[in-house]
Amino acid sequence: MTTYPQRLLEIANGIRDMRIRGAGRIARAAAEALKIAALEYSGERDLVAFKKYMVSVGELLISTRPTAVSLPNAVVYVLSSLRGAQSFREAQERLVERAEKFISESEEATRRISQIGARRIRENSTILTHCHSSAAVGVIIEAYKQGRVVKVYSTETRPAYQGRITFAQLSKSGVPVIQIPDSAVRYVINEVDYVVVGADTVASNGAVVNKIGTSQVALAAKEARTRVYVAAESYKFSPLTLIGELVTIEFRSPEEVVPREWLEKHPRVKVLNPVFDVTPPEYIDAIITEHGVIPPQAAVLILIEKLGWALEVLHASEGRLDLNKIVAL
Amino acid sequence: MPSRLTGSELALRVLEELYVTASRGSSRELVERIIQLKESILSERPASMATINMLKQVGLYILERGFSGVDSYILELKEKYTRALERAAEIASRRIVSGEVLLTNSNSLAVRKLLEHLAKQGKSIELYVTESRPGNEGLLVAEYAESLGFNVYLIVDSAARFFMKKVDKVVVGAEAVASNGAVVSKIGTSLVALVAKEARKRVFVVAPTVKFSPETFYGELLKLPEYDWELLVESDKAARIPENYRARVPIYDVTPPEYIDAIVTEHGLFAPQALPLVLSFIERSGLNLTVPLEDIVSKLRALLGGAQ
Repeated sequence: MTTYPQRLLEIANGIRDMRIRGAGRIARAAAEALKIAALEYSGERDLVAFKKYMVSVGELLISTRPTAVSLPNAVVYVLSSLRGAQSFREAQERLVERAEKFISESEEATRRISQIGARRIRENSTILTHCHSSAAVGVIIEAYKQGRVVKVYSTETRPAYQGRITFAQLSKSGVPVIQIPDSAVRYVINEVDYVVVGADTVASNGAVVNKIGTSQVALAAKEARTRVYVAAESYKFSPLTLIGELVTIEFRSPEEVVPREWLEKHPRVKVLNPVFDVTPPEYIDAIITEHGVIPPQAAVLILIEKLGWALEVLHASEGRLDLNKIVAL
Repeated sequence: MPSRLTGSELALRVLEELYVTASRGSSRELVERIIQLKESILSERPASMATINMLKQVGLYILERGFSGVDSYILELKEKYTRALERAAEIASRRIVSGEVLLTNSNSLAVRKLLEHLAKQGKSIELYVTESRPGNEGLLVAEYAESLGFNVYLIVDSAARFFMKKVDKVVVGAEAVASNGAVVSKIGTSLVALVAKEARKRVFVVAPTVKFSPETFYGELLKLPEYDWELLVESDKAARIPENYRARVPIYDVTPPEYIDAIVTEHGLFAPQALPLVLSFIERSGLNLTVPLEDIVSKLRALLGGAQ
C-alpha cells in the first residue's frame, strides 16, 4: 500500500472540492504536487520503483477532475521528464526541474496572453466576460491600463458565483465593472464590443470547453455581431481530442444549485448541474495563446507544435492516456 | 424589490382588490385605490400589461357609465380573464404531444395552466425549468410540475443551450406583447428563444390578449425596470459580496417576433406579427368567431327548441 505525503493529498482534495479552481491554478497545483511527491519520496531509491510511484501519483491527480485538460497536460509534461533518466537521482532532479519549469512558464504564458490580447481591444470598448478566468481578467486589466476599456460586464455565473471573483479582481484594479445575472447577457450584448472568456479545454477542431453558459454567451454575441475572444494557454489544448477522444463534461452536486432541504422535499425534481459546455469554433473569432492569436480552427497547430511529443506517446498508447508509456516504463 | 407574482397573478389580485373596494360602495375609495395601484404598478411593474389594461377598463367603465354596477363589471373582468387564461392554455395544450420534452423559463400562470391541461389530458411530458435568476421563480414552476406528476429537470439559466438539443418545445408566458409581436417576458427568455431557434426548436408564448399593449401601436416604448445588486444577493450569501458591488439587474427582456413560432391566446394561435391584426379584426367585426361551431350549433338548437 503506497502512502502519499500529506501536502500532496491536500492538493488532490483541493482540486476535487474546487478549493483549487481555474485551469491554470489546477495545472500549477498538480505540477507542485508532483514536485512534492518527488522530493518527499521515501521508497526504494531505484529508478523503476520511483517511476512507478510517480505514475501512481500522476493517476491520483488526474482522477480528481475529469474535464480540465490542463491537469493531465501538466502531469504528462512533468512526468515525461523521466524518460531517458539513467538513475534514481537524475530522475528525481529532472522531475523537480520540469515541475518548476512548468509553473514558471505557465505564469509567464498568462502574462504574455494579457499583452497580446490587450492589443486586440480598440479604444472606448465595452467588454463582457463570463465566469472567472485569470487569462481573460489579465487581458481586460492590461487593456484597461492602456486606456482602451470604458466598461466591463461580468456575469455572476451560477451556481458557484465565480463572477464575484472576477468583479472583485477587476474592481481592485480600478476597472469599471458591473455584474449582471447570467440571464441578462442578451439584454446587454448590443452595448458590448468584445466578449473575452477563458477556456478549460480547447479541442483539436477549435471547439472550446468552458464554464457552463459560455456557448450561449458566444451565440448571443454572434447574433449581435460582437467579437468573441478566448484567452487560453497552450496547456489547455487537448491532445486526446486529436485522436477522437470526447471531452467528458462533469456534472456536479445538485446542492450547488439548490439547498438540500429543497431537494429532499422535491424528489421528482432532478437538478442537472453540468459544469461546462462546448462553444463551437464558428462562434469564436480568435483564440489568444501565449504563442499568438489563432483562429480556433487552427488549434491543431498548437497541438502539433507544443504538444507533438505527447501525441506520439498517445498514438503509441493506442489512444489511452497511459502514464507508464509517458515515463517509459 | 419587485413582487414575485406572475403578470396574470398580479392582474387577478388587482381585480380582486378592486372588487372588494368597489363592493364596499364608496366611489371615492375606489378611485383612490385605482390611483394608488396605477402608481405602484407603473413604478414597479411598468410592463405588466394585463394589470394596466384591467385598470384602464375599470377606469373607462366608470367614466362612461358611472359607479353603478362597477363591482359586477370588475367581477366579470376577472372571470373573463380566468376563462381567457384557461382557453389559451387549453389551445396550447393541443400543440403538445405526449412524450415530448418541454422547456420553460421563469414562472408563468399561463404555462402552469398549460401543464395542468396536459396532466388532465393524461399526456406525459418532461419539463426542463431554468432557475430564472434573479428571483429563482423557476423553482415555483418545478414544484408545481412535480405536483402534477411530471418529471422535472431544474437547470441553471446558463445551461439552456447545453440541454436544448434534448428539448422538443419551449413554452413561456408574457408580461406584455408589443404591436410588432415582440414579447416582453422574464429576463433570459430572449436568450432561451435564441438558443431554441439555433437548435430549430419551436417556441410558444402562451398569453391571453389582455397582455397586448395597444399603446405600442402608436409608437410608445415599453418600459423595462432595472434594479441594482441587492437583487442578486440572498441574505445568507451576504458574506461573499465583493466590495463596491455594482450590478445591473433587468427583470424583463424583449424577445423579437422572429424567434417566436406562435403566440397562443384565448382566440387561437397566431404568428406574433399577426396579433395586432387579429385583435383589430375581432374588435371591428363585433363577432366572436372563436366560439367553437359546436357551441353555436347547440345554442341554435336551444333557440329552435324555445320557438316550438
